[in-house]
Amino acid sequence: MTDLDAFSAEVRAFLDANAARRPSTGTIEWGTGEDRIAYFSTDPPDVDKAKVDAARAWQRRRYEAGFGWISGPAEYGGRELSTLHDLVYDGIEAEYDVPDTGVLAVIGLGMIGPTILAHAEPEVKARYLPAMYSGDVIACQLFSEPGAGSDLASLSTRAVRDGDEWVLTGQKVWTSIAQHAQIGMALCRTNPDAPKHRGITAFLVDMTAPGVEVRPLRQMTGGADFNEVFLTDVRVPDDHRLGPVDAGWRTALTTLMNERATVGGEGVGPAGRAVSLPFLTALLDQNGRRDDPATRRELARLYADQAATDALNRQAIRKVRSGEQPGPEASVSKLLYAQNLTRGAHFAAEVLGPKLIADTGAWGAYSWTELLLSTPALRILGGTEEIMKNILAERVLGLPKEPGIDSTSPFRELRRSGGGS
Amino acid sequence: MTALTNARVTTTTAERDELRATLRQFLSERSDEQAVRRVIDSGVYDPDVWAGLSTGLGLVSLALPAAYGGDGYGFIELHAVLEELGRALTPSPFFATVVLAASALVAAGDADAMADYLPGIAAGTRTATFAVSEHWGAPKLTGERAAGAWTVSGEISLVLDGATADLLLVVANTPDGPSLFAVPSDAPGLVRTPLRTLDGTRPLAAVRCEAAPARLVGPAGGAEPVVARVVDLGTAALAAEQVGGARACLEASASYARERVQFGRAIGSFQAVKHKCADMFTRVRLADAAALDAAEAADEGARLPVAAATAHLVCSEAYLFAAAENIQVHGGIGFTWEHPAHLYYRRAKASQLLFGGPADYHERLLRAVGV
Repeated sequence: MTDLDAFSAEVRAFLDANAARRPSTGTIEWGTGEDRIAYFSTDPPDVDKAKVDAARAWQRRRYEAGFGWISGPAEYGGRELSTLHDLVYDGIEAEYDVPDTGVLAVIGLGMIGPTILAHAEPEVKARYLPAMYSGDVIACQLFSEPGAGSDLASLSTRAVRDGDEWVLTGQKVWTSIAQHAQIGMALCRTNPDAPKHRGITAFLVDMTAPGVEVRPLRQMTGGADFNEVFLTDVRVPDDHRLGPVDAGWRTALTTLMNERATVGGEGVGPAGRAVSLPFLTALLDQNGRRDDPATRRELARLYADQAATDALNRQAIRKVRSGEQPGPEASVSKLLYAQNLTRGAHFAAEVLGPKLIADTGAWGAYSWTELLLSTPALRILGGTEEIMKNILAERVLGLPKEPGIDSTSPFRELRRSGGGS
Repeated sequence: MTALTNARVTTTTAERDELRATLRQFLSERSDEQAVRRVIDSGVYDPDVWAGLSTGLGLVSLALPAAYGGDGYGFIELHAVLEELGRALTPSPFFATVVLAASALVAAGDADAMADYLPGIAAGTRTATFAVSEHWGAPKLTGERAAGAWTVSGEISLVLDGATADLLLVVANTPDGPSLFAVPSDAPGLVRTPLRTLDGTRPLAAVRCEAAPARLVGPAGGAEPVVARVVDLGTAALAAEQVGGARACLEASASYARERVQFGRAIGSFQAVKHKCADMFTRVRLADAAALDAAEAADEGARLPVAAATAHLVCSEAYLFAAAENIQVHGGIGFTWEHPAHLYYRRAKASQLLFGGPADYHERLLRAVGV
């Protein structure tokens, strides 16, 4: 293992040479600067595209300096250091003002990259992994379907073998960043006569291939962060299969296990800053509510939960750093993150009163509507609150699963909504 | 500088886990539910349990300063002990003696008083308490000095272990301001009346002083920072107990939900019950994180007021939630006298209110963060 101090010094030298330090988060200056409290992007397409280009350029620079895939194998452009080095890099980079690489990192590098590494043919790995970690290729996740949401294993997009190729037909939904992606990881039904978990195969799909159609999905905030992806007779070479035929559920579990926890995410971004104590306190002062007992009580409760959630996240990171297995903190963190942000948005709304419901031009008032309209998504995306609670109760507390026939009966015989087969 | 010590002896996580396991084993053998109920019924602590905690396991001296008979460990070790005591609802003089009284003596920094009182406390031969619960407003007692000797007079109505402690620390008003005094239990003019309590594992008493001879501890007018410090340490310690108790409720609920069959299935397979348990787990994990953070802050120093106030709020509410939902998961059986669920419910409510309750702890947190 490379000495961590030497590594840290190397990271700092790279960042000092290539980025400016983030100004320290000082006091809130009410009324100055940007008051948008965005959670989802509502940028027009040209701004959105410019941000993606900046993310790619930054990822390329990192890659060239040896920080593109710190814990990955050298064969595919990695540095072969530990995940601890990843954490160290992330921690230091957070101090600098660099482009947000989320469009590449969250799904492609964080989840699909490790899946390709674990399950793809060597030629496929060599073709895509260096391209992904150097910022050239963006990957999306073609999992959910109109008829397969929380019950992902009931998906019905078909893949039928035709010589050395497979022919894919079906519809995927809630696909983030599909409009920017060059490849997608698709889960398809290959054996409808097997029970639902045992008839799925995973493929790597060229998003520019004929038959792939990406349609933006406008969400309740007004913007379009997700897409529907229609697959119509899309031909995929057999060597783009990820794992054995009908064993795609296991491949999918690799992907989902690599899903980055929202650990530490709360304080980041405009939403995190908006529900922070200094900002909310300034909001109280601006609206003459600083001495209102009911408001103070709710602020104390909100802040205590935020502070305790921060402590939980810090302790989880410390555990991972000391080599312990991450516990169920990720699911707990996700639940708490959604709850805290939602409560923060509603708290602000109640302080603002009628100033929230019409745009009078006042700074830091109507701007809260964007966050307020985003919060319902937090309880749904990446596993609904209900599914997270099932996971905690079943896997941590050992409570029995809901009895049912859906895990043992042939997929063909199950009752399903939408999709068809 | 740490919570209760000068030079801190440290432990690893594994060593603290071992400490927990040893204590849990001791409590399961010597202070099980039946033993706890006997103390609740009689109102008298089990001297064997106290001897086991002090001379047997050496836990009373654990976090006390080495210079005064202690072992010099920090708050993080105390945290592990308190979590187990809270989990088992162990009635003992531990909280009042070690957390409240010893912290007050250390915080007051009076070397003579520490030399006189702490070694006996560390050895388990002297129990003590600090009447801190009611000191949000002006002190209820008055201290007077005549011919070079102090006496205190007045009445305080809610003193933890007030009827049994060998040494009472109290705050009394003097011409120099609120001051800390030590009153031995055999002081003439001291009248102690045990009170009926919601939570029988934590005895409270009314204490009346009629010109009771008292010893000034620390400088006259010096009580305010002592009270502030003890409230921070006391709420941080209470948080550890609350987490232990809340986790016991969670485990009891999960265990019952796995075993209890209705409609032909374990009730834990119904999402209504399953999600209740998941909610309990989430709140208990959050409380655990807050209490651990407060314990670490107690050993670090500067962060303590915010971390303790946060933990007190989060852990109070998590424990109440877990204790109430535990009864609900158990249904009718959880409402019976024989079932331990109500012992936790009582303890959860009494713990939430011990240092003042929501009206105080919300404002204490906001004060600590400067709002």
